[in-house]
Amino acid sequence: MTLLVTSDFEFSLPAELEASEPPEARGLRRDQVRLMISNYSNDQIRHARFHDLPEFLNEGDVIVINTSRTRNSALMALRADGTPLELHLSTHQTADYWTVELRSIQPDGKSKHFEDACEGDVLSLPGEGKAVLKGPYISDCDPDLKQPSQTLWLAELNFPIRLDDYLSRFGFPIRYNYVKERWPLSYYQTVYATESGSAEMPSAGRPFTHELLSRLESKGIQVAPLILHTGVSNLETHEPPYKEFYQVSSLTAQMVNGARSSGRRVIAVGTTVVRTLETVAEVDGKVHAGEGWTCKVITAQYKLRTVNALLTGMHEPQATHLAILQSLAGLDHIKLAYSEALHHGYLWHEFGDLHLIMP
Amino acid sequence: MKNALITGASRGLGLALARQLAKDGWGLIIDARGERSLEQARLELSGFTNVIAIPGDITTGSHREDLSKAAVQMGGIDALVNNASYLGPSPQPALLDYPLDVLEDVYLTNVITPLAVIQTLRATLRPEACILNITSDAGVEAYEGWGGYGSSKAALEQLSAILAKENPALRIYWVDPGDMQTQMLQEAFPDEDITDRPLPEESVPGLMALIEGGKPSGRYNANALVKSPG
Repeated sequence: MTLLVTSDFEFSLPAELEASEPPEARGLRRDQVRLMISNYSNDQIRHARFHDLPEFLNEGDVIVINTSRTRNSALMALRADGTPLELHLSTHQTADYWTVELRSIQPDGKSKHFEDACEGDVLSLPGEGKAVLKGPYISDCDPDLKQPSQTLWLAELNFPIRLDDYLSRFGFPIRYNYVKERWPLSYYQTVYATESGSAEMPSAGRPFTHELLSRLESKGIQVAPLILHTGVSNLETHEPPYKEFYQVSSLTAQMVNGARSSGRRVIAVGTTVVRTLETVAEVDGKVHAGEGWTCKVITAQYKLRTVNALLTGMHEPQATHLAILQSLAGLDHIKLAYSEALHHGYLWHEFGDLHLIMP
Repeated sequence: MKNALITGASRGLGLALARQLAKDGWGLIIDARGERSLEQARLELSGFTNVIAIPGDITTGSHREDLSKAAVQMGGIDALVNNASYLGPSPQPALLDYPLDVLEDVYLTNVITPLAVIQTLRATLRPEACILNITSDAGVEAYEGWGGYGSSKAALEQLSAILAKENPALRIYWVDPGDMQTQMLQEAFPDEDITDRPLPEESVPGLMALIEGGKPSGRYNANALVKSPG
Protein backbone atom coordinates (compact mmCIF):
# COMPACT_ATOMS: atom_id res chain seq x y z
CA MET A 1 0.00 0.00 0.00
CA THR A 2 1.29 3.41 -0.92
CA LEU A 3 0.80 5.72 2.00
CA LEU A 4 1.35 9.16 0.67
CA VAL A 5 -1.46 10.39 -1.46
CA THR A 6 -0.58 12.66 -4.29
CA SER A 7 -2.53 13.76 -7.27
CA ASP A 8 -1.20 15.35 -10.41
CA PHE A 9 -4.11 17.67 -10.73
CA GLU A 10 -3.93 21.30 -9.83
CA PHE A 11 -6.31 24.13 -10.43
CA SER A 12 -7.16 27.34 -8.70
CA LEU A 13 -10.57 27.70 -7.17
CA PRO A 14 -12.03 31.21 -7.40
CA ALA A 15 -13.38 32.42 -4.04
CA GLU A 16 -16.86 33.00 -5.46
CA LEU A 17 -17.17 29.28 -6.20
CA GLU A 18 -16.80 28.34 -2.55
CA ALA A 19 -20.27 27.71 -1.10
CA SER A 20 -20.19 30.03 1.89
CA GLU A 21 -23.65 29.17 3.24
CA PRO A 22 -26.18 26.34 2.99
CA PRO A 23 -28.34 26.24 -0.16
CA GLU A 24 -31.37 26.93 2.07
CA ALA A 25 -29.87 30.34 2.81
CA ARG A 26 -29.69 30.89 -0.95
CA GLY A 27 -33.43 30.19 -1.24
CA LEU A 28 -33.00 26.62 -2.49
CA ARG A 29 -34.21 23.31 -1.15
CA ARG A 30 -31.48 20.79 -0.37
CA ASP A 31 -32.23 18.89 -3.56
CA GLN A 32 -32.16 21.98 -5.77
CA VAL A 33 -28.38 22.25 -5.83
CA ARG A 34 -26.80 21.57 -9.21
CA LEU A 35 -25.79 18.15 -10.44
CA MET A 36 -23.15 17.52 -13.08
CA ILE A 37 -23.36 14.06 -14.65
CA SER A 38 -20.18 12.90 -16.32
CA ASN A 39 -19.70 9.57 -18.08
CA TYR A 40 -16.12 8.43 -18.05
CA SER A 41 -16.64 5.87 -20.81
CA ASN A 42 -17.38 8.53 -23.42
CA ASP A 43 -16.57 11.83 -21.65
CA GLN A 44 -20.17 13.03 -21.98
CA ILE A 45 -21.07 15.78 -19.52
CA ARG A 46 -24.59 16.90 -18.68
CA HIS A 47 -25.96 19.50 -16.27
CA ALA A 48 -29.07 19.15 -14.13
CA ARG A 49 -30.47 19.76 -10.67
CA PHE A 50 -30.01 17.21 -7.92
CA HIS A 51 -33.72 16.39 -7.79
CA ASP A 52 -33.40 15.14 -11.40
CA LEU A 53 -31.15 12.31 -10.15
CA PRO A 54 -33.68 9.47 -10.76
CA GLU A 55 -33.70 10.30 -14.49
CA PHE A 56 -30.06 9.31 -14.75
CA LEU A 57 -30.32 6.00 -12.92
CA ASN A 58 -31.86 2.66 -13.87
CA GLU A 59 -33.95 0.07 -12.12
CA GLY A 60 -31.70 -2.26 -10.19
CA ASP A 61 -28.93 0.26 -9.61
CA VAL A 62 -27.75 0.34 -6.00
CA ILE A 63 -26.98 3.57 -4.22
CA VAL A 64 -24.77 3.09 -1.16
CA ILE A 65 -25.09 5.77 1.51
CA ASN A 66 -23.19 6.56 4.71
CA THR A 67 -25.73 6.97 7.49
CA SER A 68 -23.29 8.21 10.14
CA ARG A 69 -24.72 11.19 12.05
CA THR A 70 -22.65 14.31 12.45
CA ARG A 71 -21.77 15.37 15.99
CA ASN A 72 -21.30 18.83 17.41
CA SER A 73 -17.55 18.21 17.29
CA ALA A 74 -16.19 21.71 17.93
CA LEU A 75 -15.77 23.03 21.45
CA MET A 76 -14.56 26.31 22.80
CA ALA A 77 -11.47 25.86 24.93
CA LEU A 78 -9.23 28.00 27.12
CA ARG A 79 -5.53 27.34 27.38
CA ALA A 80 -3.98 27.73 30.83
CA ASP A 81 -2.57 31.13 29.78
CA GLY A 82 -6.07 32.33 28.84
CA THR A 83 -5.72 31.97 25.08
CA PRO A 84 -9.16 31.17 23.66
CA LEU A 85 -9.03 28.25 21.22
CA GLU A 86 -11.34 25.94 19.37
CA LEU A 87 -10.97 22.20 19.94
CA HIS A 88 -12.11 19.91 17.12
CA LEU A 89 -12.80 16.32 18.12
CA SER A 90 -11.79 14.11 15.22
CA THR A 91 -12.06 10.47 16.23
CA HIS A 92 -12.95 8.72 19.48
CA GLN A 93 -10.05 6.29 19.91
CA THR A 94 -10.69 4.40 23.10
CA ALA A 95 -11.95 5.17 26.60
CA ASP A 96 -11.25 8.88 27.17
CA TYR A 97 -8.75 9.19 24.32
CA TRP A 98 -9.51 11.18 21.20
CA THR A 99 -7.64 12.58 18.27
CA VAL A 100 -8.20 16.31 18.21
CA GLU A 101 -7.16 19.41 16.32
CA LEU A 102 -6.59 22.76 18.02
CA ARG A 103 -7.43 25.95 16.19
CA SER A 104 -6.85 29.55 17.16
CA ILE A 105 -9.41 32.26 16.53
CA GLN A 106 -8.31 35.28 14.54
CA PRO A 107 -9.69 38.75 15.30
CA ASP A 108 -11.76 38.55 12.10
CA GLY A 109 -13.52 35.44 13.42
CA LYS A 110 -11.64 33.04 11.16
CA SER A 111 -9.81 30.09 12.60
CA LYS A 112 -6.49 28.51 11.75
CA HIS A 113 -4.47 25.57 12.94
CA PHE A 114 -2.93 26.44 16.32
CA GLU A 115 0.81 25.85 16.10
CA ASP A 116 1.93 26.49 19.65
CA ALA A 117 0.31 23.61 21.48
CA CYS A 118 2.62 21.51 23.66
CA GLU A 119 2.52 18.06 25.10
CA GLY A 120 0.95 18.25 28.55
CA ASP A 121 -1.14 21.34 27.80
CA VAL A 122 -4.33 21.36 29.81
CA LEU A 123 -7.35 23.02 28.23
CA SER A 124 -10.43 23.96 30.17
CA LEU A 125 -13.63 23.17 28.32
CA PRO A 126 -17.14 24.54 28.92
CA GLY A 127 -19.19 23.17 31.79
CA GLU A 128 -16.09 21.99 33.65
CA GLY A 129 -14.81 19.70 30.94
CA LYS A 130 -11.07 19.19 30.49
CA ALA A 131 -8.64 18.13 27.78
CA VAL A 132 -5.01 17.10 28.27
CA LEU A 133 -2.74 16.88 25.23
CA LYS A 134 -0.82 13.62 25.40
CA GLY A 135 1.33 14.05 22.31
CA PRO A 136 1.15 14.35 18.52
CA TYR A 137 -1.00 11.57 17.11
CA ILE A 138 0.96 8.77 15.50
CA SER A 139 -1.13 6.84 13.04
CA ASP A 140 -0.84 3.09 13.45
CA CYS A 141 -1.97 2.53 9.88
CA ASP A 142 1.54 1.71 8.77
CA PRO A 143 3.67 0.12 11.48
CA ASP A 144 6.84 0.97 9.53
CA LEU A 145 6.15 4.67 9.34
CA LYS A 146 5.91 6.20 12.78
CA GLN A 147 5.38 9.73 11.56
CA PRO A 148 3.78 12.09 14.09
CA SER A 149 0.85 14.06 12.70
CA GLN A 150 1.33 17.78 12.10
CA THR A 151 -2.35 18.38 12.66
CA LEU A 152 -3.77 15.93 15.14
CA TRP A 153 -3.06 15.46 18.83
CA LEU A 154 -3.91 12.53 21.00
CA ALA A 155 -5.83 13.99 23.92
CA GLU A 156 -7.45 12.70 27.07
CA LEU A 157 -10.88 14.28 27.45
CA ASN A 158 -13.00 14.46 30.56
CA PHE A 159 -16.62 15.47 30.44
CA PRO A 160 -18.78 15.85 33.56
CA ILE A 161 -21.81 14.35 31.78
CA ARG A 162 -22.48 11.77 29.08
CA LEU A 163 -20.61 12.51 25.86
CA ASP A 164 -23.67 12.93 23.63
CA ASP A 165 -25.38 15.20 26.16
CA TYR A 166 -22.22 17.19 26.61
CA LEU A 167 -21.66 17.75 22.91
CA SER A 168 -25.26 18.60 22.18
CA ARG A 169 -25.19 21.14 24.98
CA PHE A 170 -21.75 22.70 24.56
CA GLY A 171 -20.51 21.72 21.11
CA PHE A 172 -21.19 23.15 17.70
CA PRO A 173 -20.51 21.93 14.19
CA ILE A 174 -16.98 22.12 12.82
CA ARG A 175 -16.77 24.98 10.35
CA TYR A 176 -13.97 26.13 8.09
CA ASN A 177 -13.32 29.67 6.96
CA TYR A 178 -15.14 29.50 3.64
CA VAL A 179 -18.40 29.16 5.57
CA LYS A 180 -19.04 32.65 6.88
CA GLU A 181 -21.26 31.89 9.84
CA ARG A 182 -22.12 29.21 12.37
CA TRP A 183 -25.10 27.13 11.31
CA PRO A 184 -26.90 24.72 13.64
CA LEU A 185 -26.20 20.98 13.51
CA SER A 186 -29.39 20.30 11.53
CA TYR A 187 -27.71 21.93 8.53
CA TYR A 188 -24.89 19.39 8.85
CA GLN A 189 -27.11 16.31 8.95
CA THR A 190 -28.22 14.11 6.08
CA VAL A 191 -31.94 13.27 6.23
CA TYR A 192 -31.16 9.57 6.63
CA ALA A 193 -28.46 9.83 9.33
CA THR A 194 -28.82 7.29 12.13
CA GLU A 195 -25.84 6.52 14.35
CA SER A 196 -23.92 9.45 15.77
CA GLY A 197 -20.13 9.56 15.32
CA SER A 198 -18.88 11.77 12.50
CA ALA A 199 -16.77 14.86 13.14
CA GLU A 200 -17.79 16.29 9.78
CA MET A 201 -20.85 15.65 7.67
CA PRO A 202 -20.59 12.95 4.98
CA SER A 203 -21.68 15.75 2.70
CA ALA A 204 -22.34 14.03 -0.62
CA GLY A 205 -25.59 12.78 0.90
CA ARG A 206 -26.76 16.18 2.06
CA PRO A 207 -28.96 16.98 -0.99
CA PHE A 208 -31.13 13.86 -0.60
CA THR A 209 -34.65 14.54 0.66
CA HIS A 210 -37.21 11.96 1.82
CA GLU A 211 -39.25 12.82 -1.25
CA LEU A 212 -36.33 12.13 -3.57
CA LEU A 213 -35.52 8.87 -1.79
CA SER A 214 -39.07 7.63 -2.30
CA ARG A 215 -38.96 8.60 -6.00
CA LEU A 216 -35.76 6.57 -6.33
CA GLU A 217 -37.39 3.66 -4.55
CA SER A 218 -40.46 3.75 -6.76
CA LYS A 219 -38.20 3.56 -9.80
CA GLY A 220 -36.68 0.36 -8.43
CA ILE A 221 -33.38 1.90 -7.40
CA GLN A 222 -32.11 0.35 -4.19
CA VAL A 223 -30.56 2.25 -1.32
CA ALA A 224 -28.04 0.36 0.82
CA PRO A 225 -26.76 1.89 4.07
CA LEU A 226 -23.38 1.55 5.72
CA ILE A 227 -21.54 3.54 8.36
CA LEU A 228 -18.19 5.25 8.38
CA HIS A 229 -17.59 7.79 11.13
CA THR A 230 -15.56 10.60 9.60
CA GLY A 231 -12.71 12.42 11.33
CA VAL A 232 -11.60 15.97 10.60
CA SER A 233 -10.79 16.57 6.96
CA ASN A 234 -8.18 19.25 6.86
CA LEU A 235 -4.96 17.30 7.20
CA GLU A 236 -1.87 18.81 5.66
CA THR A 237 -1.03 17.43 2.26
CA HIS A 238 1.28 14.44 2.55
CA GLU A 239 0.14 13.61 6.06
CA PRO A 240 -0.32 9.92 6.68
CA PRO A 241 -3.96 8.81 6.82
CA TYR A 242 -5.64 7.90 10.06
CA LYS A 243 -8.09 5.16 10.81
CA GLU A 244 -11.84 5.54 10.85
CA PHE A 245 -14.53 3.21 12.22
CA TYR A 246 -16.88 1.47 9.76
CA GLN A 247 -19.79 -0.96 9.74
CA VAL A 248 -21.24 -2.85 6.79
CA SER A 249 -24.28 -5.10 7.25
CA SER A 250 -24.73 -8.40 5.44
CA LEU A 251 -27.84 -7.02 3.73
CA THR A 252 -25.85 -4.15 2.25
CA ALA A 253 -23.11 -6.56 1.19
CA GLN A 254 -25.72 -8.74 -0.53
CA MET A 255 -27.24 -5.78 -2.37
CA VAL A 256 -23.85 -4.62 -3.61
CA ASN A 257 -22.82 -8.12 -4.67
CA GLY A 258 -26.15 -8.67 -6.39
CA ALA A 259 -25.84 -5.52 -8.44
CA ARG A 260 -22.26 -6.29 -9.37
CA SER A 261 -22.96 -9.85 -10.47
CA SER A 262 -25.85 -8.75 -12.68
CA GLY A 263 -23.87 -5.92 -14.24
CA ARG A 264 -25.83 -3.08 -12.68
CA ARG A 265 -24.33 0.05 -11.26
CA VAL A 266 -23.08 0.45 -7.71
CA ILE A 267 -23.09 4.16 -6.91
CA ALA A 268 -21.15 5.27 -3.85
CA VAL A 269 -22.54 8.41 -2.24
CA GLY A 270 -19.36 10.08 -1.11
CA THR A 271 -15.74 9.06 -0.86
CA THR A 272 -16.35 7.62 2.64
CA VAL A 273 -18.52 4.94 1.04
CA VAL A 274 -15.75 4.08 -1.44
CA ARG A 275 -13.25 3.79 1.39
CA THR A 276 -15.57 1.49 3.34
CA LEU A 277 -16.60 -0.80 0.48
CA GLU A 278 -13.00 -1.22 -0.65
CA THR A 279 -12.15 -2.13 2.95
CA VAL A 280 -14.62 -5.02 3.03
CA ALA A 281 -13.91 -6.21 -0.54
CA GLU A 282 -12.12 -9.37 -1.48
CA VAL A 283 -9.69 -9.45 -4.39
CA ASP A 284 -12.46 -10.27 -6.84
CA GLY A 285 -14.52 -7.33 -5.62
CA LYS A 286 -17.04 -9.35 -3.66
CA VAL A 287 -17.86 -7.49 -0.45
CA HIS A 288 -18.72 -8.98 2.90
CA ALA A 289 -20.27 -7.68 6.09
CA GLY A 290 -17.85 -6.31 8.62
CA GLU A 291 -16.98 -3.70 11.18
CA GLY A 292 -13.76 -2.29 12.50
CA TRP A 293 -11.18 0.36 11.77
CA THR A 294 -10.07 1.08 8.25
CA CYS A 295 -6.73 2.44 7.11
CA LYS A 296 -7.60 2.01 3.44
CA VAL A 297 -5.99 4.59 1.21
CA ILE A 298 -7.14 5.05 -2.33
CA THR A 299 -4.56 6.55 -4.59
CA ALA A 300 -5.02 7.62 -8.18
CA GLN A 301 -3.38 4.36 -9.24
CA TYR A 302 -5.57 2.17 -7.04
CA LYS A 303 -7.86 -0.18 -8.93
CA LEU A 304 -11.38 0.08 -7.50
CA ARG A 305 -13.01 -3.31 -7.04
CA THR A 306 -16.47 -2.53 -5.72
CA VAL A 307 -18.03 0.58 -7.21
CA ASN A 308 -18.31 1.85 -10.76
CA ALA A 309 -20.06 5.13 -10.05
CA LEU A 310 -19.62 7.91 -7.51
CA LEU A 311 -21.84 10.74 -6.39
CA THR A 312 -19.65 13.34 -4.71
CA GLY A 313 -19.19 17.01 -4.01
CA MET A 314 -16.66 19.22 -5.74
CA HIS A 315 -13.23 18.71 -4.23
CA GLU A 316 -10.54 21.28 -3.57
CA PRO A 317 -7.35 21.35 -5.59
CA GLN A 318 -4.84 18.92 -4.11
CA ALA A 319 -7.48 17.27 -1.92
CA THR A 320 -6.64 13.63 -1.38
CA HIS A 321 -10.24 12.86 -2.33
CA LEU A 322 -9.44 13.81 -5.91
CA ALA A 323 -7.29 10.69 -6.09
CA ILE A 324 -10.41 8.60 -5.50
CA LEU A 325 -12.16 10.32 -8.41
CA GLN A 326 -9.12 9.67 -10.57
CA SER A 327 -8.93 6.02 -9.64
CA LEU A 328 -12.54 5.66 -10.78
CA ALA A 329 -12.62 7.78 -13.92
CA GLY A 330 -9.04 8.56 -14.87
CA LEU A 331 -7.20 11.85 -14.69
CA ASP A 332 -8.22 13.11 -18.13
CA HIS A 333 -11.91 12.67 -17.48
CA ILE A 334 -11.77 14.40 -14.10
CA LYS A 335 -9.81 17.29 -15.62
CA LEU A 336 -12.47 17.64 -18.28
CA ALA A 337 -15.34 17.50 -15.79
CA TYR A 338 -13.67 19.97 -13.44
CA SER A 339 -13.03 22.49 -16.18
CA GLU A 340 -16.73 22.24 -17.09
CA ALA A 341 -17.69 22.74 -13.46
CA LEU A 342 -15.42 25.76 -13.12
CA HIS A 343 -16.74 27.17 -16.37
CA HIS A 344 -20.37 26.70 -15.33
CA GLY A 345 -19.82 28.18 -11.87
CA TYR A 346 -20.45 25.07 -9.79
CA LEU A 347 -20.13 25.59 -6.05
CA TRP A 348 -17.54 23.72 -3.98
CA HIS A 349 -17.52 22.23 -0.44
CA GLU A 350 -20.19 20.69 1.79
CA PHE A 351 -22.94 23.19 0.98
CA GLY A 352 -22.17 23.20 -2.73
CA ASP A 353 -23.09 21.31 -5.89
CA LEU A 354 -22.77 17.63 -6.75
CA HIS A 355 -21.03 15.50 -9.34
CA LEU A 356 -22.25 12.09 -10.48
CA ILE A 357 -19.48 10.12 -12.15
CA MET A 358 -20.73 7.08 -14.08
CA PRO A 359 -19.38 4.61 -16.61
CA MET B 1 -29.05 25.13 28.76
CA LYS B 2 -28.59 28.40 26.93
CA ASN B 3 -26.37 31.28 27.91
CA ALA B 4 -26.89 35.02 27.76
CA LEU B 5 -24.51 37.92 28.20
CA ILE B 6 -26.07 41.18 29.41
CA THR B 7 -24.16 44.41 29.71
CA GLY B 8 -25.24 46.89 32.36
CA ALA B 9 -27.08 44.23 34.33
CA SER B 10 -26.85 45.55 37.88
CA ARG B 11 -30.06 47.59 37.72
CA GLY B 12 -32.96 48.70 35.55
CA LEU B 13 -33.87 46.82 32.40
CA GLY B 14 -30.63 44.77 32.38
CA LEU B 15 -31.29 43.36 35.85
CA ALA B 16 -34.99 42.77 35.14
CA LEU B 17 -34.10 40.78 32.02
CA ALA B 18 -31.35 38.88 33.87
CA ARG B 19 -33.88 37.87 36.55
CA GLN B 20 -36.30 36.47 33.98
CA LEU B 21 -33.58 34.58 32.08
CA ALA B 22 -32.21 33.20 35.36
CA LYS B 23 -35.66 31.93 36.37
CA ASP B 24 -35.93 30.25 32.98
CA GLY B 25 -32.61 28.49 33.59
CA TRP B 26 -30.34 30.47 31.29
CA GLY B 27 -26.67 30.66 32.24
CA LEU B 28 -25.65 34.31 32.62
CA ILE B 29 -22.64 36.51 32.17
CA ILE B 30 -23.35 39.95 33.57
CA ASP B 31 -21.32 43.11 33.70
CA ALA B 32 -21.63 46.59 35.20
CA ARG B 33 -19.27 49.27 36.41
CA GLY B 34 -20.40 49.30 40.05
CA GLU B 35 -18.76 46.35 41.75
CA ARG B 36 -21.03 46.32 44.80
CA SER B 37 -24.36 46.49 42.97
CA LEU B 38 -23.16 43.86 40.48
CA GLU B 39 -22.19 41.53 43.31
CA GLN B 40 -25.63 42.02 44.79
CA ALA B 41 -27.21 41.09 41.47
CA ARG B 42 -24.94 38.05 41.17
CA LEU B 43 -25.92 36.82 44.65
CA GLU B 44 -29.59 37.11 43.85
CA LEU B 45 -29.36 35.51 40.38
CA SER B 46 -27.09 32.67 41.41
CA GLY B 47 -29.98 31.28 43.46
CA PHE B 48 -31.52 30.31 40.13
CA THR B 49 -28.70 29.65 37.71
CA ASN B 50 -25.02 29.64 36.87
CA VAL B 51 -23.83 33.28 36.85
CA ILE B 52 -20.47 34.83 36.04
CA ALA B 53 -20.34 38.49 37.08
CA ILE B 54 -17.45 40.62 35.87
CA PRO B 55 -17.31 44.20 37.08
CA GLY B 56 -15.66 46.67 34.74
CA ASP B 57 -15.98 49.39 32.16
CA ILE B 58 -17.50 47.95 28.98
CA THR B 59 -15.82 50.66 26.88
CA THR B 60 -12.40 49.12 27.59
CA GLY B 61 -10.99 46.32 25.47
CA SER B 62 -9.47 44.33 28.32
CA HIS B 63 -12.81 44.12 30.10
CA ARG B 64 -14.47 42.90 26.91
CA GLU B 65 -11.74 40.25 26.58
CA ASP B 66 -12.59 39.05 30.10
CA LEU B 67 -16.23 38.72 29.07
CA SER B 68 -15.15 36.72 26.03
CA LYS B 69 -13.14 34.30 28.17
CA ALA B 70 -16.14 33.82 30.44
CA ALA B 71 -18.21 33.12 27.33
CA VAL B 72 -15.73 30.43 26.24
CA GLN B 73 -15.89 28.90 29.73
CA MET B 74 -19.66 28.72 29.46
CA GLY B 75 -19.51 27.10 26.04
CA GLY B 76 -20.72 30.07 24.02
CA ILE B 77 -23.42 32.68 23.96
CA ASP B 78 -26.98 32.23 22.68
CA ALA B 79 -28.17 35.76 23.46
CA LEU B 80 -25.98 38.86 23.58
CA VAL B 81 -27.74 41.89 25.04
CA ASN B 82 -26.12 45.27 24.55
CA ASN B 83 -28.04 47.06 27.25
CA ALA B 84 -25.46 49.37 28.89
CA SER B 85 -25.82 52.92 27.70
CA TYR B 86 -25.00 56.45 28.72
CA LEU B 87 -27.50 59.32 28.74
CA GLY B 88 -25.00 62.16 28.87
CA PRO B 89 -25.37 65.22 31.12
CA SER B 90 -28.41 65.56 33.36
CA PRO B 91 -30.34 67.59 32.52
CA GLN B 92 -29.55 67.08 28.85
CA PRO B 93 -28.30 70.21 27.13
CA ALA B 94 -29.52 71.49 23.75
CA LEU B 95 -27.24 70.49 20.90
CA LEU B 96 -25.79 73.99 20.42
CA ASP B 97 -24.64 73.89 24.03
CA TYR B 98 -23.70 70.21 24.10
CA PRO B 99 -20.18 69.63 25.51
CA LEU B 100 -18.42 67.76 22.71
CA ASP B 101 -16.19 65.71 24.96
CA VAL B 102 -19.29 64.32 26.66
CA LEU B 103 -20.88 63.71 23.27
CA GLU B 104 -17.87 61.60 22.36
CA ASP B 105 -18.40 59.54 25.49
CA VAL B 106 -22.09 59.12 24.67
CA TYR B 107 -21.20 57.82 21.20
CA LEU B 108 -18.41 55.65 22.56
CA THR B 109 -20.76 53.96 25.03
CA ASN B 110 -23.89 53.78 22.88
CA VAL B 111 -22.55 53.15 19.36
CA ILE B 112 -18.94 52.03 19.22
CA THR B 113 -18.95 49.86 22.34
CA PRO B 114 -21.97 47.70 21.38
CA LEU B 115 -20.20 46.95 18.10
CA ALA B 116 -16.94 46.30 19.95
CA VAL B 117 -18.75 43.86 22.25
CA ILE B 118 -20.12 41.99 19.23
CA GLN B 119 -16.71 41.95 17.55
CA THR B 120 -15.00 40.58 20.66
CA LEU B 121 -17.70 38.00 21.34
CA ARG B 122 -18.26 36.93 17.72
CA ALA B 123 -16.24 33.75 18.03
CA THR B 124 -18.33 32.72 21.03
CA LEU B 125 -21.74 33.20 19.39
CA ARG B 126 -23.46 29.86 19.02
CA PRO B 127 -25.43 28.96 15.88
CA GLU B 128 -28.61 31.03 15.58
CA ALA B 129 -27.54 33.25 18.47
CA CYS B 130 -29.45 36.49 18.84
CA ILE B 131 -28.12 39.94 19.50
CA LEU B 132 -30.32 42.53 21.19
CA ASN B 133 -29.23 46.13 20.93
CA ILE B 134 -31.37 48.21 23.27
CA THR B 135 -32.28 51.48 21.60
CA SER B 136 -34.95 54.09 22.24
CA ASP B 137 -37.75 55.97 20.52
CA ALA B 138 -35.44 58.97 20.96
CA GLY B 139 -33.41 57.33 18.18
CA VAL B 140 -36.34 57.76 15.80
CA GLU B 141 -38.31 60.79 17.03
CA ALA B 142 -36.67 64.23 17.25
CA TYR B 143 -37.22 65.22 20.89
CA GLU B 144 -35.79 68.56 21.99
CA GLY B 145 -32.97 68.05 24.44
CA TRP B 146 -32.31 64.46 23.29
CA GLY B 147 -29.80 65.39 20.57
CA GLY B 148 -26.85 63.54 22.06
CA TYR B 149 -28.47 60.34 23.35
CA GLY B 150 -31.10 60.25 20.59
CA SER B 151 -28.66 60.62 17.70
CA SER B 152 -26.37 57.97 19.24
CA LYS B 153 -29.31 55.54 19.40
CA ALA B 154 -30.18 56.39 15.78
CA ALA B 155 -26.62 55.42 14.86
CA LEU B 156 -26.96 52.17 16.83
CA GLU B 157 -30.19 51.38 14.97
CA GLN B 158 -28.61 51.83 11.55
CA LEU B 159 -25.52 49.91 12.65
CA SER B 160 -27.77 47.04 13.77
CA ALA B 161 -29.71 47.07 10.50
CA ILE B 162 -26.54 46.76 8.43
CA LEU B 163 -25.11 44.11 10.74
CA ALA B 164 -28.29 42.10 10.23
CA LYS B 165 -27.91 42.26 6.44
CA GLU B 166 -24.29 41.20 6.70
CA ASN B 167 -25.00 38.24 9.03
CA PRO B 168 -28.06 36.30 7.89
CA ALA B 169 -27.39 33.35 10.22
CA LEU B 170 -27.71 35.56 13.31
CA ARG B 171 -30.89 37.10 14.64
CA ILE B 172 -30.18 40.77 15.24
CA TYR B 173 -32.80 42.88 16.97
CA TRP B 174 -32.73 46.56 17.78
CA VAL B 175 -35.36 47.10 20.35
CA ASP B 176 -37.17 50.07 21.81
CA PRO B 177 -38.05 48.97 25.35
CA GLY B 178 -40.46 51.90 25.88
CA ASP B 179 -40.49 54.40 28.74
CA MET B 180 -39.47 52.81 32.01
CA GLN B 181 -38.96 53.90 35.61
CA THR B 182 -35.22 53.66 35.63
CA GLN B 183 -32.32 55.67 36.95
CA MET B 184 -31.62 56.77 33.39
CA LEU B 185 -35.14 58.14 32.87
CA GLN B 186 -34.88 59.97 36.20
CA GLU B 187 -31.64 61.56 35.01
CA ALA B 188 -33.35 62.59 31.78
CA PHE B 189 -36.16 64.25 33.73
CA PRO B 190 -34.39 65.26 36.94
CA ASP B 191 -37.23 67.34 38.35
CA GLU B 192 -40.15 65.16 37.37
CA ASP B 193 -41.97 62.45 39.21
CA ILE B 194 -41.58 59.41 36.95
CA THR B 195 -43.39 56.92 39.16
CA ASP B 196 -46.30 56.89 36.72
CA ARG B 197 -44.08 55.16 34.13
CA PRO B 198 -44.07 51.39 33.82
CA LEU B 199 -41.43 49.39 35.67
CA PRO B 200 -38.64 47.89 33.53
CA GLU B 201 -40.09 44.44 34.31
CA GLU B 202 -42.97 45.29 31.99
CA SER B 203 -40.64 45.47 29.00
CA VAL B 204 -39.12 42.07 29.73
CA PRO B 205 -41.81 39.82 28.16
CA GLY B 206 -41.27 41.60 24.84
CA LEU B 207 -37.52 41.01 25.01
CA MET B 208 -38.10 37.37 25.97
CA ALA B 209 -40.40 36.97 22.97
CA LEU B 210 -37.53 38.06 20.74
CA ILE B 211 -34.89 35.93 22.47
CA GLU B 212 -36.99 32.77 22.48
CA GLY B 213 -39.01 33.28 19.31
CA GLY B 214 -37.78 32.87 15.77
CA LYS B 215 -38.57 36.38 14.59
CA PRO B 216 -36.52 37.75 11.72
CA SER B 217 -33.88 40.38 12.38
CA GLY B 218 -35.29 43.88 12.62
CA ARG B 219 -36.49 46.77 14.78
CA TYR B 220 -39.03 45.89 17.42
CA ASN B 221 -40.95 47.66 20.14
CA ALA B 222 -40.90 45.55 23.31
CA ASN B 223 -44.38 46.55 24.42
CA ALA B 224 -45.99 46.09 21.01
CA LEU B 225 -44.54 42.57 20.82
CA VAL B 226 -46.55 41.44 23.80
CA LYS B 227 -49.69 43.56 23.54
CA SER B 228 -50.59 43.01 19.91
CA PRO B 229 -51.10 39.46 18.67
CA GLY B 230 -48.39 38.01 16.45
